[in-house]
Amino acid sequence: MEVTRDDAAGLGTGPADATAMGSDQPGNVPGALVVRDATAVAAPIVVRNELWSAADPAAYDGGRPSDVTHLREVEASGIAARDDARWSGILEVIPTKADYVLDLLRANSLWPLLSGLACCAFEMMSSATSKNDIDRFGMFPFRASPRQADVLIVAGTLTTKMAGPLVRLWEQMPEPKWCVAMGDCTCSGGRYKRSYATVEGIDRVMPVDVYVPGCPPRPEGLIYGMMKLQQLVKDRRGHWPERAVGPTVPEGV
Amino acid sequence: MDRALKSRLEDRFGDVLAGPVRQRHDETEIRIEPGDVPDVLRALHDEPAFGFGLLADLAGVDTGETMQVVYHLWSETTPDWLRVMAINLDRESPRVPTVVPVWPGAEWLEREAYDMFGIVFEGNRDLRRIFMPADYRSFPLRKDFYLPDDAARSPGGGVRPMEATHAPRNAAAGTVRKVRG
Amino acid sequence: MTVDHRHPSADDPRVMLEDESELYEPIPPYAPRTEREAEFYTLGDGELFINIGPHHPATHGVMRVVMKLSGETIVDLDPVLGYLHRGVEKLCENADLHHTIAYLDPLEYVSSLFCEWPAVMAYEKLLDVEVPRRAEYIRVLTGELNRVSSHLLAMGFHALDLGGLTPILYSFIERDEIVEMLASITGQRMLFNYFRIGGVNGDLNHEFMSRLGDWMSRATEQVEANVGLLNENEIFVRRNRDIGVMDAETALRMCWTGPNLRASGVPYDIRRAHPYSIYPEIDFDIPTRQEGDSLARYLLRVDEVKQSLRIIDQCLHQMPDGPVMAKVPRLLRPRPGRSWAAVEGPRGEYGVYVVSDGTDQPFRFRIHDPSFLHLQSFGRLLPGKLIADWMTVNASLDPIMGGIDK
Repeated sequence: MEVTRDDAAGLGTGPADATAMGSDQPGNVPGALVVRDATAVAAPIVVRNELWSAADPAAYDGGRPSDVTHLREVEASGIAARDDARWSGILEVIPTKADYVLDLLRANSLWPLLSGLACCAFEMMSSATSKNDIDRFGMFPFRASPRQADVLIVAGTLTTKMAGPLVRLWEQMPEPKWCVAMGDCTCSGGRYKRSYATVEGIDRVMPVDVYVPGCPPRPEGLIYGMMKLQQLVKDRRGHWPERAVGPTVPEGV
Repeated sequence: MDRALKSRLEDRFGDVLAGPVRQRHDETEIRIEPGDVPDVLRALHDEPAFGFGLLADLAGVDTGETMQVVYHLWSETTPDWLRVMAINLDRESPRVPTVVPVWPGAEWLEREAYDMFGIVFEGNRDLRRIFMPADYRSFPLRKDFYLPDDAARSPGGGVRPMEATHAPRNAAAGTVRKVRG
Repeated sequence: MTVDHRHPSADDPRVMLEDESELYEPIPPYAPRTEREAEFYTLGDGELFINIGPHHPATHGVMRVVMKLSGETIVDLDPVLGYLHRGVEKLCENADLHHTIAYLDPLEYVSSLFCEWPAVMAYEKLLDVEVPRRAEYIRVLTGELNRVSSHLLAMGFHALDLGGLTPILYSFIERDEIVEMLASITGQRMLFNYFRIGGVNGDLNHEFMSRLGDWMSRATEQVEANVGLLNENEIFVRRNRDIGVMDAETALRMCWTGPNLRASGVPYDIRRAHPYSIYPEIDFDIPTRQEGDSLARYLLRVDEVKQSLRIIDQCLHQMPDGPVMAKVPRLLRPRPGRSWAAVEGPRGEYGVYVVSDGTDQPFRFRIHDPSFLHLQSFGRLLPGKLIADWMTVNASLDPIMGGIDK
């Protein structure tokens, strides 16, 4: 079974696909255990982005595919520190001091919407209660009404039946608003990825700003995600103006 | 394993049993035809010799060739769980009389069996879908549920085709997994 | 009103919904399909429908209740479930036996160990595996810790739903401590995946014992302090007394189990009625109350917490040495057959029915959840009461939607 592939089109297209065959089946080679030279690097699986394009054509290195393939090269080249995704549209103006203060205000009082669907809700509540207190970040009031909320922390599996109400909640939230996908089920479908009744990741139906993986993520993990969100707010980055909706995990994975 | 329970069941229900009374560990199992379900369960509930007052579970089973409805009961008179299996339901249009007159709490359990398998419980006043949306067309726990069908219309954008995930391993597409008994 | 979502305006995210009208209307957009639906969805004189949920601050999960009201008095209720239906039973049919244990955790996520327990018991019956005694003691010990945590959370949410914002904080302090204890042996704070077929995943360690010792030394006073906030609070008592009264006969007919059944006067506890594991060797009482109202259910959970502390104490003193896992082959092929096992979880009887066809995947994996049946009784408990009483009854029945919707 080939581990290195150059074309992404062959992923997940049918029952006989390599990714669907279990490596514990007799006759199938366990792909991850193929012995290779320690310095060799597998060719990266490149899925071209056809869902959306950034408003600024110079963003994301102008759309050139990256020629960096190993993590140590990525860190050495400094690409990671240079992120050009900025808000566009009417917010293209250089932020003034007043805007900076407004961003600080927004970042330090992000009011979440109570959107605890399943088990991750308990870790979200645990991060809101005494031991891991997100009140110190200003996020204590979990609003029940979407009209009063800033950030939608989707905690728990999104099922196809609940997808409609959840998107309705997102639409009812006034801008500026951000979305945090908490837990594996909201990032990519999680352990329910093969189910007939779940949505494989909420980024299929709404733009997500921060992904907090874990099943469930520890409260400290959620707090880390919220602090990343605060950094996003202060940097004036976010997905909701660009409406980048679509699966971030390529098909077939 | 309660041998006395086995003989009591055989004495009382011997003519309607569709198979021998089996016992293993702490479970006793009887099989009946679907038409006998209300009489047998009412007798098990009402008669003081049996006194199975608690319906612990009501489950549908798709064996690949037939359908079954399995009831689990508990009584103070015996240390065993009693499993009553209504067997040989037609797989394409399974119908069973309801036990709601005996246990009104079975109404939602029957709704769930209908939602997941399509088993119609005759006499249940509220036999509609409980988990899936009301306009869902398939019955998910059936062994031939491989199609993406309604998932493609969902706001989720359609999950991957079921053939790639739920087909039996090393089997041709379209085979239905079967079990004996 | 339909909006064409294929061409989103600048303000709309891309939404793949075809018709949005059905999301607002409590009345379904089709003709009634059953007698009960027709009866419920016809409005009498002066009645109206209100839709509660699926997103609402009562933290039991995503549940939708359509209420038919006359003024503020409830005339009838129709709970709509399925907003958290994840298809666990179907997923388990395509999973290895060991994987099914991990699928079961997120069902009743506050009491995950009780979700795993009947599955491993059913498999052990199919495989004729005998669990070592130390493993059984550890199962009971961790299970009772989980029960304490679940009951304290239930009490906290009971108060939260009625408007009291403080007791939930105390509950979460206790829950965080217990959960850190369990994390030190299972590795996870919540969905433990700790029980295995033939035992448990790992032995107790020093960190667990020291945390447990610290917590046990002050557990009793802490629990007393926490419940003291509510036991004699006049608002809490008056809102709970004589609300949602269920008598014993009807509770049995509605297939209730667990603390809700025992609060109605039926002393049925699987740990005593159908003993499993090492419960026959442990001395504890089954608290029962006769009133059957919400206050009785709350006080019964308090009593059960105290009994659980007794059980934990005895487990610690009686725990034998030995292996924590039986010798079980890695590739398990149980004999073809059927197996049922049920345990007493914090919400009632949690049961698993496994049909095996001889392969290493279960052929049919049926999960029976107790809260599913408790919710069914809304239609019997609430007509004639106020909307606020619905909140009380819902909180006192302590449903967890993950388990209900599977």
